[in-house]
Amino acid sequence: MSIVKTVSPAPPQEAEASPIRLGMIVSARFSVSGFARQWAHCHLLANYLGRYVSANEGDPERHATMLSTFVNELLEIVYRNHAGDGQIELTFRKKNGRVLLQATVPISESQRMFYRMAVQLVGQPDLKTWYRARLEDPAEGEDTMLGLLELVAVYGCNVAMTENAGESRVTLSLHLPEFDDMGEV
Amino acid sequence: MSNSVVPSSSSGGAPSSGVPPSYMPMALNMRLTGEDEQEVTLTGTLRPFVAEEMAQVRTSLEQAAKTAKGTLCVNLKRLKYMNNVAFLELNRFVRWVARTRPDLRIKFILSSVIPWAIRKFQVIAELYPAVSIEVYDKAFYPVQPVIEDDEFITVLRTQEKLIWAHEQEILPQHGLRPGLRVADICCGLGDFAILLQRDFRPEYLVGVDHSKPLLRYARQVVSDFGLENIEYQYGDAAALLLADNSFDFVSCRLSLQVFPEPDRIVHELVRITRPGGRVYITNEMLSSVVGYPQQEAIRKGYERFLEVCRHGGVDLDMGPKAREVLANGGLEDVKISQINVTNTNSDAHDLARVVELWIRVAWQFGAAAGANPEMHKDIETGLRAHIDTILSDRGYAVWPIIAASGRKPFRTT
Repeated sequence: MSIVKTVSPAPPQEAEASPIRLGMIVSARFSVSGFARQWAHCHLLANYLGRYVSANEGDPERHATMLSTFVNELLEIVYRNHAGDGQIELTFRKKNGRVLLQATVPISESQRMFYRMAVQLVGQPDLKTWYRARLEDPAEGEDTMLGLLELVAVYGCNVAMTENAGESRVTLSLHLPEFDDMGEV
Repeated sequence: MSNSVVPSSSSGGAPSSGVPPSYMPMALNMRLTGEDEQEVTLTGTLRPFVAEEMAQVRTSLEQAAKTAKGTLCVNLKRLKYMNNVAFLELNRFVRWVARTRPDLRIKFILSSVIPWAIRKFQVIAELYPAVSIEVYDKAFYPVQPVIEDDEFITVLRTQEKLIWAHEQEILPQHGLRPGLRVADICCGLGDFAILLQRDFRPEYLVGVDHSKPLLRYARQVVSDFGLENIEYQYGDAAALLLADNSFDFVSCRLSLQVFPEPDRIVHELVRITRPGGRVYITNEMLSSVVGYPQQEAIRKGYERFLEVCRHGGVDLDMGPKAREVLANGGLEDVKISQINVTNTNSDAHDLARVVELWIRVAWQFGAAAGANPEMHKDIETGLRAHIDTILSDRGYAVWPIIAASGRKPFRTT
């Protein structure tokens, strides 16, 4: 893969010392331009990082397959909604048995609106009914968002967004559901 | 700073210029499976960039739906990855069928091994009355409830101990040596994997089984003993998620005999073996069980026992067929060994416990097969006579197992 990236396992000493790194499993940083060069990067990164994060799980293969499904969906959304340059950073942490994926993405103002709308949608009550209704009667242009909504409505993920005033980037947090020892949610 | 100009997944037309090609290593198969069922199979990865990349899949599905009668099966049991773009396109296809062929039923065939699949398609099944889901591997493992029984598990361990004492000596003849990448398919309790790790030091070892209780037990043992380089995976032996040509030595012990379609499993064993690597199988040969005295009653008992098991799709006399099975799988240089567990070369009480278990298995299979009381009586009499022989100071009893291996050719024709 030609993208520029750094993948570094968390040093245990640092994890102990720094609360911000608590539970960190791995982080990856890569350029927008490299990432956006190939759609396949979503798939490859999702599988690679999914496998890395799953290494110590009871059933690493199934855990990685499930994780790849979640990570890929998020990466596909990022692929379609990012600024023309800058860096994307992915961080995987594990806390209380659940994996947290944070993706920091450079964005334009219109993309900021997209992410705000997506997060607002997933926060609505009875999301599953809404999601099912959209499958029965889809609205134009909603497909991309439905991928994110499915993660919440069907698989029980949580999605949140953090943005700082004046910064042209956003951090998406995907709290994955708890997996059992067979890699199932 | 320029913004990206990436189209959304549902936008019309092909990806715009500058957008690189998609990633969909997917195989599509259509086959007629009878008057009332047609099947379309999708395997591999479906992660398209835009819906238009699913055109071939949609065309095939629609073509099948136009001519199908009764039920159209969409077989996804070996589709490992699917993104939302592909899923929405399948959902559109279902809507199209509901509109244009309201008389047609659609059945999504899924595997419990693919962890995301059932929840995902359950939503579609709930939305459309004509859509159903079949988790195919629930039916493919008919003996699973029997082997997950606590008492059975205890005896499985005894059985493993009895066989290993002899098997470890023949494994090098079948190509096993330290440093190999090994897969143990239908690994059960994982004892074989642990013994291999101890005595043959593989570079990497994965055990695959379709029983969650057995895998949990296996993992606990690995964890308790702090063993490394052993990985266990919940999987379907007939549709493994392991990559092609990725192992030097692939074993499947005392398992082909309990599956109604062993050829399907052999195909998978061969697929994951690298060219030059070996597939190793063991199966019992209960028609040749030896027991003296009371040989006649013992033979009759085992004949009846085999008959009852065959009703349940289990062939406990598969051992002698090993050469044919491996040759049919395209393997060469087939080697055969016979493992004779006897009451003089093994712990007689352990061997008796194994036979005792078979009596229980016979009752379970017999009940399922509707065996008559006379048959049950013959089995019980014969196998009890075998136990007497095993435990007798003057008796001689043999439990024969055939071990066989074949090499995957470097070139297949």
